[in-house]
Amino acid sequence: MSEPAGVNRREFLATVAAAQGAFVLGFWVPSRADAQTIPNAVWYENPTTPEINAWIVIAPDDMVTIRIAQTELGQGVWTSNAMMVCEELQCDWTKVRPQYASANRDAREQAPEWTLKVPGKGAGDPNGGGEPTFGNRDRTGVSGIPDSLYRRMRTNAASSVKDGRYYLQLAGAEARERLLLAAAALWNVPVTELTAKNSVITHASSGRTTSYGQIAHRAAETPHPHPETITIKPPDQWTLMGTEQKNLDIPLKVTGQTVYGIDVRLPGMKWAAVKACPVYGGDVKSYDFDAIRTMPGVRSVVQFPIPDPALTRGRVFSGGVAVIADSWYQAKTALDRMPIEWKIPPELAAFNTANMRATLLAAIEQPGRVRVNQGDVDAGFARAAKIVEATYSTPYLPRARMEPGNATVLVTNDRVDIWIGDQSPQETRFSAAKITGIPEQNVHLHLCHLGGGFGRNGNGPQAEHAIMIANANRGVPIHMLWTREQDFIGTTYRAMGVARLKAGLDADGWPIALEVRTGMQGDGFGPEASFDVTSRYYVPNYRFSSHVTTFHVPVGTRRGVGQAAHEFYRESFIDELAHAAGKDPYRYRRELLARTSLPYKDDLLTALDMVAEMSSWGSPLPRGKARAIALEERGAEGSGLATISAMVHTVSVSREGKVKLERVDVAHETGFGLVNPLSVKKQIEGQITWFYNDAMHQASTIADGHIVENNFNAFPISRMSEDPPEINIRFFPTRHWLLGMGHDRATSVQSGIGDAIFQITGKRYRDLPYGKHDLRWS
Amino acid sequence: MAFELVVNGTSHTVDADPQTPLLWVIREHVGLTGTKFSCGIGQCGACTVHVDGRAVRSCSVPAQTAAGKKVVTIEGVSPDGSHPIQAAWKEFDAPQCGYCQSGMIMSALALLRERPTPSDADIDSQITNICRCGTYHRVRQAIHLAADLMKRTAGRA
Repeated sequence: MSEPAGVNRREFLATVAAAQGAFVLGFWVPSRADAQTIPNAVWYENPTTPEINAWIVIAPDDMVTIRIAQTELGQGVWTSNAMMVCEELQCDWTKVRPQYASANRDAREQAPEWTLKVPGKGAGDPNGGGEPTFGNRDRTGVSGIPDSLYRRMRTNAASSVKDGRYYLQLAGAEARERLLLAAAALWNVPVTELTAKNSVITHASSGRTTSYGQIAHRAAETPHPHPETITIKPPDQWTLMGTEQKNLDIPLKVTGQTVYGIDVRLPGMKWAAVKACPVYGGDVKSYDFDAIRTMPGVRSVVQFPIPDPALTRGRVFSGGVAVIADSWYQAKTALDRMPIEWKIPPELAAFNTANMRATLLAAIEQPGRVRVNQGDVDAGFARAAKIVEATYSTPYLPRARMEPGNATVLVTNDRVDIWIGDQSPQETRFSAAKITGIPEQNVHLHLCHLGGGFGRNGNGPQAEHAIMIANANRGVPIHMLWTREQDFIGTTYRAMGVARLKAGLDADGWPIALEVRTGMQGDGFGPEASFDVTSRYYVPNYRFSSHVTTFHVPVGTRRGVGQAAHEFYRESFIDELAHAAGKDPYRYRRELLARTSLPYKDDLLTALDMVAEMSSWGSPLPRGKARAIALEERGAEGSGLATISAMVHTVSVSREGKVKLERVDVAHETGFGLVNPLSVKKQIEGQITWFYNDAMHQASTIADGHIVENNFNAFPISRMSEDPPEINIRFFPTRHWLLGMGHDRATSVQSGIGDAIFQITGKRYRDLPYGKHDLRWS
Repeated sequence: MAFELVVNGTSHTVDADPQTPLLWVIREHVGLTGTKFSCGIGQCGACTVHVDGRAVRSCSVPAQTAAGKKVVTIEGVSPDGSHPIQAAWKEFDAPQCGYCQSGMIMSALALLRERPTPSDADIDSQITNICRCGTYHRVRQAIHLAADLMKRTAGRA
């Protein structure tokens, strides 16, 4: 047998030193204070010149390093966060280099006072900082923004621009002012006589100039006397923000040089492959390491328990076992041959899709929690000319990001180093401290780009698994990598949901009573995610209740919470009502919106009218083709932050039942301003594909307590051939800040395809995905 | 057992079980990490490389079958990201998370070499890589632009 897996810290550092001397491609040195860093890694590095503030370092050659505290997972935050800093800093955009912020420093330093107070008067004030969602303070960063150095280090809730904009703009402005103060002091002139542009400071009357790089070391030692007086630019003064900027991470992504978590290599590193019990709440009963001990490369085995639910927001995953080997493929091959017996509680093994669905349907028959009760619903039904009733359902759905869960962890007796793509490094730092007993101040995260995200805790206990495995192998860097099949076990799911909607229509077909009952798993956000129909579409008598059940599948965020399912229910039902009333679905929606007194009513109507015009709504289509319209919004029930759009989907269904999304027209508001409209367009395009998959293909089913579909052969994802040939996006300005772009856009693909199928085939399907239904017609 | 593998024009002596998938030999033994692992069963195409000019899903091919053949990975497309297909990808800002894009580019490059002016139908039938971010719309535009740029480059040469 090979030597023991362990190398001690001294040996490790010796290996690091050796590696520095013999640097070869693909063999990387860890980023530590005592180790050289590697090309193209984007994790935090200690600056070589004094930083201006925690976000900004300016090198003598004018290259500006901007620290990014959110994670780039394809949404463009690497670029948009940098744009917000650069706009105020007035530095040369071609000399900007983003770098991840340090989660370790965040554990040791407090945020500057000037970042703590949101300027301005909320969502309707163009001069202010908007209305951050996570305004309350929370040390762990779970339910709010901590006061620690980088404030919010999470990447979730479509909030990176919404919550971070004001203090990122302030960070740029604070640095700019100090650069100006330093130049003023050097030249002994009033600071008011200086201007800053494109990394150059000019004193117009004397003709003197200096560059940011030349003055930066002085600025670093020049405090601002009154940072609380610094203001941020409103959108009408933006010059970089609001313009389409290509994403700064693209050049490395087309050459294969981007460093994802899976690409991290360290001297002395071993690989771990993992099998966790496929039934959530299950654990390892026994395993036989002796059966594989002598296989090539195999070093050791680690059994780990169900991760402490306190570290996974209360969600219960499962216990498992990891095999450690010299290469990952050796570890995986050995693990596949290792006999493992699982300990599965019989009540959990009894769950399957059919009995869970029956439970949900039974729950909505029982009294639920009444969330909204307006007017007299029963009286409304009593005098209705027509009753329309429909039950919709949506399946369990995972994120299925492309990069399988992984993390590289080195635990020594006084320090933890973690190389990971992570949407919530503050939570991971907390997990590392809890698991190892090493304080958070000694936990170092080296952040990598993520190969897809779609919800941090949704991506499950990848960090916790890796930390537990490495903690059992102190002194050895362990790179844990899940198989695709494990990634489907390690993830949370959007909860399976049902909804029953019942409307009473008057003689003209307008709704006079509406009852909505939704059923979802209790901790799945579903029933608690807003589904307040009347605030969008006018109904005088309305009752909404949510009906909670308890299942064992860990549920959580998935490109939003329950809203995508709820918009499917709402918009599908409005279509059904329009058809029942014999009215045009666009005009029907328009009238029901016009009857409301919503603060953003005009914006909602603009979205509908614009998209109807864009799509040539009402013009004839050949048989087999249909259009469907829908409203999409977040927050439009109130007068705060909101995101409003409308879409028209043009869909064909062949007589053989083949569905094609032919064209999507999108009318989308900008709010006071989009930071990077190019990224917004990409987010909309991507989410059209996302919700097309939800609508047509995707469902996770449960058998004997476990998820059945655990790779892309059983869990289908659309390819190029299903991409809509035509996508038209048009923006319109509105007078509030946006609630966010990263999720719940294009939810209407679900209702749109459903209504088009109905128009073409006469068949109405209310349970997703449509692809499982017989869509043929003659 | 050691065997020879030529990757991006450089010969490597690989000491691995010859049944090890080509993907893992490229990533772990040769040390080129631009080629990605995602599904492990040849479904998604994130691991696509060229073997003698043909697009191959390297997670599902034993490395030994590539011995004596020319393997090209994303790192071998150009030394500096200047290949027309990379220029076209950049022009449309095509990647989002980027994880699938190495494989996507290698698949598209194989298509363009076979059909220098691919139709949308060609793209639909030949590019079957999965992108979870939904970059298909820009990838299609980028393939058409790459076709133009590659012809222009060839014309100059």
